Amino acid sequence: MFGLFKSPALSPRLLRLKESALFASLTPLELKIVDGLMHERRYQADEIIFDEGEEGQALYLVMSGRVIISRVHGAGREVVAELSAGSFFGDLALLDNSPRNAQTRALDNCELAVFFRADFMGLMETDPVIGYKISLALARHIARRLRDWMTGKPQIEAL
Amino acid sequence: MNLLPTQQRGGPVVWSGIIAATCLLLFLLQHTLFLAVPFLLGIVLYYILQPPMQRLTRMGFSQNAAIMLVGSVFVLLVALAILAAIFWNSTPTTSWQDKLGIYLAGGLEFVRGTLVSLEEQFPLLRQVQLADTVNQRMSEFTGAYIQSHLTDILVSMAAWLPSLLLAPFLTFFFLRDGLRFKKFLARAVPNAFFERTLCLLHEVDQTAHRYFRGLIRLTILDTAVLAFGLWAIGVSSPLMLGLIAAVLAWVPYVGSIVGCMLVVMVASTDAPADPSVAYLAIGVFICVRLLDDFVFMPLTLGRSLHIHPLITVLMIFIGGSVAGVAGLMLVLPLLGVVMVIGETLGRLITDPRLRARHRNAMQLRARQASQDLST
Repeated sequence: MFGLFKSPALSPRLLRLKESALFASLTPLELKIVDGLMHERRYQADEIIFDEGEEGQALYLVMSGRVIISRVHGAGREVVAELSAGSFFGDLALLDNSPRNAQTRALDNCELAVFFRADFMGLMETDPVIGYKISLALARHIARRLRDWMTGKPQIEAL
Repeated sequence: MNLLPTQQRGGPVVWSGIIAATCLLLFLLQHTLFLAVPFLLGIVLYYILQPPMQRLTRMGFSQNAAIMLVGSVFVLLVALAILAAIFWNSTPTTSWQDKLGIYLAGGLEFVRGTLVSLEEQFPLLRQVQLADTVNQRMSEFTGAYIQSHLTDILVSMAAWLPSLLLAPFLTFFFLRDGLRFKKFLARAVPNAFFERTLCLLHEVDQTAHRYFRGLIRLTILDTAVLAFGLWAIGVSSPLMLGLIAAVLAWVPYVGSIVGCMLVVMVASTDAPADPSVAYLAIGVFICVRLLDDFVFMPLTLGRSLHIHPLITVLMIFIGGSVAGVAGLMLVLPLLGVVMVIGETLGRLITDPRLRARHRNAMQLRARQASQDLST
């Protein structure tokens, strides 16, 4: 009756969330809770998602389409990375509200899931298990970026 | 946690708008009080029941089941508290009406006794026949006014009952659809303003949350301290009196005066021959109010709204004159919410980059929508 022992089936949307490295370790119930906190946004091709220097408040997960990350380099712009479905960006905004250090723009019409920092912080307090799983995934992601940087490999800038 | 960007606070134009909007809302509120009061109760219940409901949801309960379970437990606890209060009553033979009459008579007798002793102390007061004049006025009030208006008061109180029954329904829907409503609101916001609007919604929610949580904590503290003080000087039903006085204190100034009168009435009835008990009760009440204003309030409500004390006091007066008792009671939470909305909107509207991004997004949408129209 209460669905207490029933594991919820994964909808196509939850499956897409599960494919992301950030949420890969979450159980179906935990994924459903996180999904309840996420916002859906649709961007047109060439639309700016956020600007360099803007205060970061949320992490973005690419559900469909592609986005391009670039930053000011001399007089022009330098492309840092191109991300497709399953990738996420703006992850440092989950940790603090420091300014974004690159601009992100939609390359195609794309659909993004947005995870707001305050919701993440609330989740850490009310549901520490989900919080630590996401934090661990985030820490691994940042560590990989650090290793790439140390070995001189091209890497996605921390946003 | 304050998530709003902190680089600048609203200027005089924004603040004038905030105060004007608060006054307008108070004016509207006065005319929709039958809806505003259950709405407010619904919000208070929502903030009380939300944490256990969320805990149950995370344990795997469906949302509706969690709300029903938490609601049932809450109703059960309230029913148990009422039953306990009824059975705890030391003199069950007297009805509530009789008891009210006894306390009223006790309070009046205390006032008469005080006036007579004042006349004995100060002959000038005897010359102006202070005690006789006040006695006559009070007799007129209790005899004529209360008798002629008692039915009206009771009928208007009964008319409030159906609207108060709205509160649990509102709470249920706040608990069930609160998050969905937040997402629904956020969906209506253009992409360029989205992140800042999320901050705004979060901050409004946090402001209301902090205020009502602070109010509940303040009520518990006030009840405990006043009950202890009244118990120490030997007044009957100290816990019940403390709770009633603490709830009445939700209405600034007026509530405290009514609470004090109530305490004096009970104290003077308990010891009719010894007015010092009533004087001690007044002393305890004033001490608790001072403690409340200078210690408890800054610790609970004061931190919750981050409003300058001068504006707080001014707005309480404005609230009282615009919307009476309801205005006194609601002006601060309303101001807190309007302040957050006003300051954020001020920042959004005056940010040229965000507006330019929004215009660009509109052009992109228009271009894409009209792509195949011309051959």
